[in-house]
Amino acid sequence: MDIRRFFGPVSGKPVVQKPALPGNAKSTVKKKNNSASSDENEKKKKSTKIKNSKKEEHHKGGGKKRKKHAVIESDSEEELEPVIKSKATTSKTAPPPKKDPVQYVSETDSDSDNFLSLKKDSKPKQNGTAKSTKSEPEHACAESKERVKSPSQGKPGLKSLPGPTTPKSAPPPPKQTPTSVLDFFGSGTIHRSDKKLVASTKRKTPTHDLDDLISDEEMARQLQMEEVRELEKQIHEDEGFARTLAMLDAEPQAKKARKSSEEQPGLSTTPQKNRTGSVSASSSPLKTSQSSDVISPSPRNTPVTVCSKVAMMKKRDEEKKEGPTRKTSMRNKSSPIKEPKTSPTSDKITPKPEVTPTELKKSPKKLENTSPDDAEKKKLHSSAYRNYLNREGPRALGSKDIPKGAENCLEGCVFVLTGVLESMERDDAKSLIERYGGKVTGNISKKTSYLVQGRDGGVSKQEKAESLGTKILDEDGLLELIRTKPGKKSKYEITAEAESKASKTRSPPSHAEKSTPKAQKISPSKGNSRSPHTPSPSKTGQAKGHVTRTSGYGTPTGRGSGRITQKELDLPSSSASEPSPPSMKGESLLWVDKYRPRSLKAVIGQQGDQSCANKLLRWLQSWYQHHSGAGGSKPAAAKFSRFGGKDDGSGHKAALLSGPPGVGKTTTAVLVCEELGYSFVEMNASCTRSKNSLKEVVAESLNNTSIEGFYKGTSQTVSSKHVLIMDEVDGMAGNEDRGGVQELIALIKNTKIPIICMCNDRNHPKIRSLANYCFDLRFQRPRLEQIKGAMMSIAYKEGLKIPPPALNEIILASNQDVRQVIHNLSMWSAKDKVMTYDRCKSDAANAHKDMKLGPFDVCRKVFISGEETARMSLIDKSDLFFHDYSLAPLFVQENYVHVRPAAARGDMKSHLVLLSKTADSICDGDLVDRRIRSGQNWSLLPTQAIYASVIPGELMRGYMSQFPVFPSWLGKNSSTSKHSRIIQELSSHMSLKTMGSRQAVNLDYLYYLRQILLHPLQKYGAEGTGQAVQLLDDYQLIKEDVDSIMEISSWGGQPDPYSKLDSKVKAAFTRAYNREAHMTPYALQAVKKGRRGGLGDLDVGGEDADQDGPGSEDDGEGVQTDAMIKQKKSKSAKESKKEKKEDSGKGKGKGKGKGKAKN
Amino acid sequence: MSLWVDKYRPTSLGKLDFHKEQATQLKHLVQCGDFPHLLVYGPSGAGKKTRIMCLLRELYGPGVEKLRIEHQTVVAPSKKKIEINTIASNYHLEVNASDAGNQDRVVIQELIKTVAQSQQIQSSTQKNFKVVLLTEVDRLTKDAQHALRRTMEKYMATCRIILCSTSTSKVIEPIRSRCLAVRIPLPSTEEVCSVLTSVCKKEGLLLPPELAKQISEKSGRNLRKALLMCEACRVQQYPFSVDQDVPEADWEVYLRDTASAIVSQQNPQRLLEVRARLYELLIHCIPPDIIMKGLVRELLSNCDGQLKTEVAQLAAYYEHRLQLGSKAIYHLEAFTAKFMALYKKFMEDGLDAMMF
Repeated sequence: MDIRRFFGPVSGKPVVQKPALPGNAKSTVKKKNNSASSDENEKKKKSTKIKNSKKEEHHKGGGKKRKKHAVIESDSEEELEPVIKSKATTSKTAPPPKKDPVQYVSETDSDSDNFLSLKKDSKPKQNGTAKSTKSEPEHACAESKERVKSPSQGKPGLKSLPGPTTPKSAPPPPKQTPTSVLDFFGSGTIHRSDKKLVASTKRKTPTHDLDDLISDEEMARQLQMEEVRELEKQIHEDEGFARTLAMLDAEPQAKKARKSSEEQPGLSTTPQKNRTGSVSASSSPLKTSQSSDVISPSPRNTPVTVCSKVAMMKKRDEEKKEGPTRKTSMRNKSSPIKEPKTSPTSDKITPKPEVTPTELKKSPKKLENTSPDDAEKKKLHSSAYRNYLNREGPRALGSKDIPKGAENCLEGCVFVLTGVLESMERDDAKSLIERYGGKVTGNISKKTSYLVQGRDGGVSKQEKAESLGTKILDEDGLLELIRTKPGKKSKYEITAEAESKASKTRSPPSHAEKSTPKAQKISPSKGNSRSPHTPSPSKTGQAKGHVTRTSGYGTPTGRGSGRITQKELDLPSSSASEPSPPSMKGESLLWVDKYRPRSLKAVIGQQGDQSCANKLLRWLQSWYQHHSGAGGSKPAAAKFSRFGGKDDGSGHKAALLSGPPGVGKTTTAVLVCEELGYSFVEMNASCTRSKNSLKEVVAESLNNTSIEGFYKGTSQTVSSKHVLIMDEVDGMAGNEDRGGVQELIALIKNTKIPIICMCNDRNHPKIRSLANYCFDLRFQRPRLEQIKGAMMSIAYKEGLKIPPPALNEIILASNQDVRQVIHNLSMWSAKDKVMTYDRCKSDAANAHKDMKLGPFDVCRKVFISGEETARMSLIDKSDLFFHDYSLAPLFVQENYVHVRPAAARGDMKSHLVLLSKTADSICDGDLVDRRIRSGQNWSLLPTQAIYASVIPGELMRGYMSQFPVFPSWLGKNSSTSKHSRIIQELSSHMSLKTMGSRQAVNLDYLYYLRQILLHPLQKYGAEGTGQAVQLLDDYQLIKEDVDSIMEISSWGGQPDPYSKLDSKVKAAFTRAYNREAHMTPYALQAVKKGRRGGLGDLDVGGEDADQDGPGSEDDGEGVQTDAMIKQKKSKSAKESKKEKKEDSGKGKGKGKGKGKAKN
Repeated sequence: MSLWVDKYRPTSLGKLDFHKEQATQLKHLVQCGDFPHLLVYGPSGAGKKTRIMCLLRELYGPGVEKLRIEHQTVVAPSKKKIEINTIASNYHLEVNASDAGNQDRVVIQELIKTVAQSQQIQSSTQKNFKVVLLTEVDRLTKDAQHALRRTMEKYMATCRIILCSTSTSKVIEPIRSRCLAVRIPLPSTEEVCSVLTSVCKKEGLLLPPELAKQISEKSGRNLRKALLMCEACRVQQYPFSVDQDVPEADWEVYLRDTASAIVSQQNPQRLLEVRARLYELLIHCIPPDIIMKGLVRELLSNCDGQLKTEVAQLAAYYEHRLQLGSKAIYHLEAFTAKFMALYKKFMEDGLDAMMF
């Protein structure tokens, strides 16, 4: 830092630093030199700087005493610095170069910043941040100036390809060097305080000194070669270095190469040399920058070689990758991340440096592909997956305070999150990034600009990121990025501004409005497609690119191509027919109506050739061809085609549009009719649509002809083309519209005009019958982006400021319901015209449509751990229970055993304890349930929710190995009650004899009774039948009871012994039983049948008849000796059949109605 | 050919084989004229019903043995028809009101009240009251029991009620205080043995006393079960051998297997298997408290002294909650899970102690 002080005079500041330096004889001399050099030209500086560096080393050698000073002084120095910079910027007059020095200042700031962060001392870190934030406003200032300028200039020549060729963003002038060097020195000195590295630097320094003295290009090259060699030597000692090198090489290299190619040779060498000097002085923590500098002087050949070597080393490192080194490497990685900002315009301008990164990319890939064994990989993956499942949440949640960054500072950056961040949940991190305009995606691609890595991150993601050259950040890095990144205007705002400008210049406002979405559409895509080429998309550069691009695009479309852009819009494209914009009369209208699409092309999400709207259009167009002429015969033929190509729906006389609300079904239908010039009659749920009224109203109107043409004077003929639009068909319900659907179907069958029906739920039973007669068109929800564009234009027209990520939230919250999005926008904008991301997010959360979860999803959510459930509040968790409070506890009980709890960590003992605790809680839930059901204490339901769902979920939260199972309790319960019924019947039959209760019969009698009953049959076969029948008679059991006994006494799914009997014996037994009449003290079938008949279930009667069928077959010849029971049975069956016939003989509808009523 | 249990059922108080003193007391009770309401309770297989029938015969003579099954329908206030089977003679009516489930209160209110209200016509020849025999009183809901209270007092002149249950704990206090409680304990092993041998003698069989003892132990002194077992033995093999295998009911075997499954292994998979087995038991209408009892008996035999008390305490706890709750499987499973956790811990601790 002392050195920086020496350079103080550049900005006219007096040197205050003297006392800080220890009595070093050389220092004073050099100081003089420095002060002199600052006044001199840059070319002269060369030498002084070299000396400076030398001196600096000496200082370093001077001892550790100064370390303290260094740390403390850094504060004061940094306070000074911005002032210096600002002065420097303001003093100079030439506007375009002005920008660059500032940027370089910020670059070096961030550099030093990184180095500081390397140290564990937190103080310097803070200093660094303070510094950088200070520098940012300036940065932003310059940028904004630039931005304002560029659109106003409105370069017409730039139409073709903006960015790269613009002279505006052209090479940074030589003036940049003084400041940058200065800062390098500054950073270097700060670093000297690092103890460990002193020795290594000392080793190096003498050679550098020698080299530096000779300021020749050749020497520089030589030096570089030496450095490379040295580097190679060092590699084995320092892995972290190699890694950082690998990370770095793409970026800085590019920067330097560009510089060298563009600047004059003399000039180019100077800064480089200076840098090398400084680097060598600033010792090994600076290795990152060192390496870059090493590469820089030789722009063509050496980088590649170095790179490949570096890549090799990187590869080696990856293979070695072990736990302990991770942390440090991460930290190292974080440093290069800042680099991108430093090279703002570079990436675009020089195509050459891009070659080296690509080569770089290749080499590691090749190596990777060959080395790992496949099986091992699989094993690795599975273990990684297991780890993933057992992964914990953030360890130090909320320990770090989230910085406030500049607005939209992350715009254009694409992030990928992997692993568990230290202090943030993933959702938090995501919303943080989105708040600042960044985008979070799931997978790494070329477009990804940052990989934010946490603990236990995915290895594959990491590898991919490395191979693609994506920068890897840790959490601190991310926060740092937000803190330090300069803010800028949203691209949407920019386009809006451009638009407004355009609208000022051009008189018809509708044109300008039209141009916006186009510009929106193009600019983001362009921005994205460009960024991958440069591994580090530089913020400022991109933003600038946007400015120029949008202005370039905005103006031409504004001029002439209004017609084309119509497509994109959800706003009145009626400029041709209706010149006046809707804003005048639209004050009282809802936004939904105000911005209702006026042409078919403007319907959101219906632009495609195969979209529903177009299908409907084609269908309607060809309707009269298909149906007008032939009438009766044609539809039949067309029906065949339905199986083959049903694409055009020509066989159908009606169309059925189905889809969720708010996607534009009605709008589409109306617009299609308008487009084709058909007049339409619309009937919606507000009209009575019962059978009769439909007949009257519709049938009449279908035979009408419209005189609309006469009225308007456009056509002289009476139009005979109308369409009937039946909106909200699923609303045809209840008593009012009874039979409406049937009538509608009948109508469709012999209609002379096309009918368009609309409904929400296509699979509704009411609609299903209708759907068979209709051309089925299913509307999907439009995609987020489709809605977003249209919404942005509405927002702009309403003067509403809303950040795009906030809009995303709103759209997602309404479940992509366009209508609701507009309503919400309208409502929220009533309060305030400017909407922040946070407010929008909370509002959107409020407006979030409640979604009903199925019990399976509920069950999964109760138990599963992970992002979606980690942030649920207690209320949310208990709300899960209320999705279906009768089923939820059953699902929980059924599935809790299947969960592998995370808390047990694989320990069987604690797993069992957890299981037991869960079971206890479920029991408590059951007790509460009993209270609720027995005493109607429904207010206890929340208590049950806690016991039956929340506590089990908390205890067992973990990983579910399978899909939730449907609760078996329901099935078991019904079979229990069935068996209990059987037992009751049995015991009532036997009650005279046994005197026992039902339970006694079940527990004691049944088994032995069965044994004794079957024994003679098993032992004597057909001869034993008499004995068995005797036993039955004694106990007043009938033949059916035998089956019941067998059913009830079979265990564990094993076949009962009766079924094992020989069928001959069984037949003999049946015959023997049927041979004689059996007297029973209880009323037999007659009563039972009567009872069932009393219940009036026709189907049961039918079933009985069916059951009798096989029974009589079994009986065989036994029928001839049939007793009264048998006859009775068949008689009753016949009766029931007769009844059925009678019923069916009556009118269809009435019969059905009766049957249902009976049930 | 009916089963021995029913074939050799005693029909009069004098013929009863055990608790003869009680039988004579009951005889005196009948003779002295002032016949109170009775609450007969005792474990199943002790001969409650038999004793009640003997008592009725003592009251009314052999006429009570002419039984008929009647099918009655009662209309609930909610217009719901409840059907119930009753067994009746001219002098008494036997109802199992718990068959009506939750609507048992209506049965008590309507059916019993109508019977109780009607006067005996020929009071000169018979007793001037009818008897209503309510079985399985412990399964009556509280509402039904409360409905019974006033009826018991109001129609004392025309009706006596005999309640029959396995335990008095489920009978509410007011009812108990209105009744003369008669406890019928299980017969002792010797009594069971003597009954078995006498029955076998009547059948002309020779039952070795060892086998008789074995049967009586296996049946848990449940005389009904013992007789059924004995007959099953006879069916299985005759002449009897001393070390004959006494056949047990399927559910008992199944329950025992379930218990040993719990003991042999403790993990979630096993818990699922046990759940399935418990369901199977419940499906077969084995009462959950009997399942619990069977489980505990088997589990305790596999536990050490210290664990024994703990498990017994647990079982009591869960059995109580089982009575309070509505879904038996939850509580049985919770007990199983608790036992598994406890047992696992105990075993592993024991193992650790052995190691060091």
